[in-house]
Amino acid sequence: MNIPMKYNFRSLFVRRGTTLMTIASIAMVVLVYIGVLSLAAGLRLAFGSSGDPRNVIVLRDGARSESESYFPLERHREMAAMPGIAHAADGNVLASGELVILQILKRANGSESNVALRGVGPEAFLVRPRLRIVEGHNFRPGAGEVIVGKSLASRFPELQLGREVTFGRLGFKVVGLFDAGGGSFASEVWGAREDFGNAFRRETVCSSSLLRAASAQGAQALAASIAGDQRLHLQPLLEPEYYASQTRATGRQFVVMGNLLGIMMGFGACFAAANTMYASVSARATEIGTLRALGFRRRSILGAFVTEAALIGLLAGAVGAVLSLPLNAYTTGTTNFLTFSEISFSLRTTPGVLVGGILLAVLTGVIGGFAPAWSASREPIAQLLRQA
Amino acid sequence: MGKLAWRNLLRNKRRTFLTMGSVSLALLLLSMLLSMLAAMERAEGSQENRVVVRNAISLTFSLPESYLQRLQTLPHVQAITPLTWFQGVYKNDRPENFFARFASDPETVLGVFPEYQIADPQREAWQADRGGFLAGQALADKYRWKIGDQIFIKGDIYPVNLNLTLRGIFSDPGAPSQEQKILFHRKYLEEALGNPGEVGAFWLLLDSALNLPTVVAAAEKMFENSQAQVRAETEAAFRLSFVEMLGNIKLMFGAIGLAIVISILFITANTMAMAARERTTEVAVLKTLGFGRGQVVWMVLAEAVVVGLMGGLIGMAIAASIMPGIAKAMRDVFPLFGTLRLTPGALWSGVGLSLLIGATAGWFPAFQAARLRIVDGLRRVA
Repeated sequence: MNIPMKYNFRSLFVRRGTTLMTIASIAMVVLVYIGVLSLAAGLRLAFGSSGDPRNVIVLRDGARSESESYFPLERHREMAAMPGIAHAADGNVLASGELVILQILKRANGSESNVALRGVGPEAFLVRPRLRIVEGHNFRPGAGEVIVGKSLASRFPELQLGREVTFGRLGFKVVGLFDAGGGSFASEVWGAREDFGNAFRRETVCSSSLLRAASAQGAQALAASIAGDQRLHLQPLLEPEYYASQTRATGRQFVVMGNLLGIMMGFGACFAAANTMYASVSARATEIGTLRALGFRRRSILGAFVTEAALIGLLAGAVGAVLSLPLNAYTTGTTNFLTFSEISFSLRTTPGVLVGGILLAVLTGVIGGFAPAWSASREPIAQLLRQA
Repeated sequence: MGKLAWRNLLRNKRRTFLTMGSVSLALLLLSMLLSMLAAMERAEGSQENRVVVRNAISLTFSLPESYLQRLQTLPHVQAITPLTWFQGVYKNDRPENFFARFASDPETVLGVFPEYQIADPQREAWQADRGGFLAGQALADKYRWKIGDQIFIKGDIYPVNLNLTLRGIFSDPGAPSQEQKILFHRKYLEEALGNPGEVGAFWLLLDSALNLPTVVAAAEKMFENSQAQVRAETEAAFRLSFVEMLGNIKLMFGAIGLAIVISILFITANTMAMAARERTTEVAVLKTLGFGRGQVVWMVLAEAVVVGLMGGLIGMAIAASIMPGIAKAMRDVFPLFGTLRLTPGALWSGVGLSLLIGATAGWFPAFQAARLRIVDGLRRVA
């Protein structure tokens, strides 16, 4: 027969000072664990554009990211004329030649980072329909105007709406903020390709070419014909593959670090749970003896005390999870070393991360509480009752 | 009285052990975080009198090689050499096969990096072979390269693949992390690219660190109205700019550290409160015997401080002993932490924190014990 759960709740409440302290210490462990893992989750989301299977992205042969890639603009024009590329309703070819340049800028806290500038033509907006202007207006080519990803603007003072900023040898004005609808474009500055080409003396090159085929099969055929053209020296990738290759390594170091910290701190908190449960067991020797005398079995006693420890863990996990929720409002940035450019991201306490944190807390309670529960269930009845 | 505090510690050995265990784990983590921060800020291998001159836009833009002649004319410049970051891929793009690959000028590079130690015949053999390369000792050991071995590096930033032959091995005893690189001939790269005459950055060795600010300012001013503006900075600042790019690491480490300290504070305070509660009657007896408040406070506090300090010292001893192993494991992926050690700064901060944790945790129970009325204490059945 099992001891009713009510008994466990009551006894936690009787020793509420100690219980609260233990809960607080395990909750801090959970907070750190969730905090670090929410960094990783946020980073993944910042890269998280899945890509359109109809899109083919073309880079220079051997280059692993757009910031490493340069090829003559002429090549892009040749590709735009290839059969199999879709057209917009107004007849425009859905092929966007883009120039990516890295520029050193200062963050709000004074540190520096490389920000990606993307020079585009009007086609760029046709192949990325999810991108929209949320404040101000779109840039006008030739006017020295740029638009900035929303999360980037808040972190780089020079990139705020209405500010003047120097890129290369020319001055530009921030006239709009955009929302990229997920993905790393949110960490970029967009302007006219000719304007950026002029500012950095890269008028005749582009970094990548984004081509839209009519269907996914069409995209594969298009990629095959570009790869087959030895004269081009270019490397086509289906957009989903390209994004997957960019995301692979990202955030992994935070996942490893979060787990390591969580486990090590969890061990420390196990000791706290063990202390609490030992104290609780020794204070209740008579009670345990009475329960045994009433006919409750050893394994019921063991079960009851382990349940009590697990309850402490569960409560602590819940407290830690609630305390971690304000982290969602925090936006920060780091450098993606594959593209060597700044990526803005917000911390995200995803349900998976929260559940992981709570499980860690319950596990901490159970591991810490097992030894005391075991010793409580092993003592002979006579011994227990005599202690009073 | 001291003896009584000590006896109290030993009374419930399991509890003392568990508390010390959690304090040591916390201090183990904290001292490692602090040492990592210190390693990031140290910029190992930097010389105070070296300056890096690069394109002001960003590292992805190069400088014309003709800048070398103009920079050479600056006063206080003893030696100057061009270095270009080639990057490329060796074997595959797994992080453990990543190391620095620089295109360099074999005639001048060792003049700017006089701390690199290399045998003269090896240096001469390298200078004579345009397809030859120099490797750091640590890197040569890792891949078991021998003089005469050939390696293939696939280009990524540059559309050029390299076939190189090992001609020499250099060591840098003061900064082993600097041995994680190879140097090859810049002419090899230039010719393959069709001689564009470009250089990633110029490295300057000055006669004295005192002249650094003037040289930095003069170099930037020299190219103010040129085709490519430059940024000049100390070698340490240049290296730190990569750490800076990672973002607000300090804040993150600080937040984690704080959470660890708070967590451990709760744990220790909890145990001390338990220990003190058990002894309410004893404290009352002590008071009856004429012991003063101060003595009672001291007894409870001493116990807490000893637990904190001993736990902390154990944790830091473990940290000091495992860090060389961790450094070795991280050397290939994260050369920055390749020589990770428990720094004196981390050690003293750790000692301070352990004392603080002990004292804070003991304060409340000590205060309660001091305030206890004898009658209440004796009446209570613990």
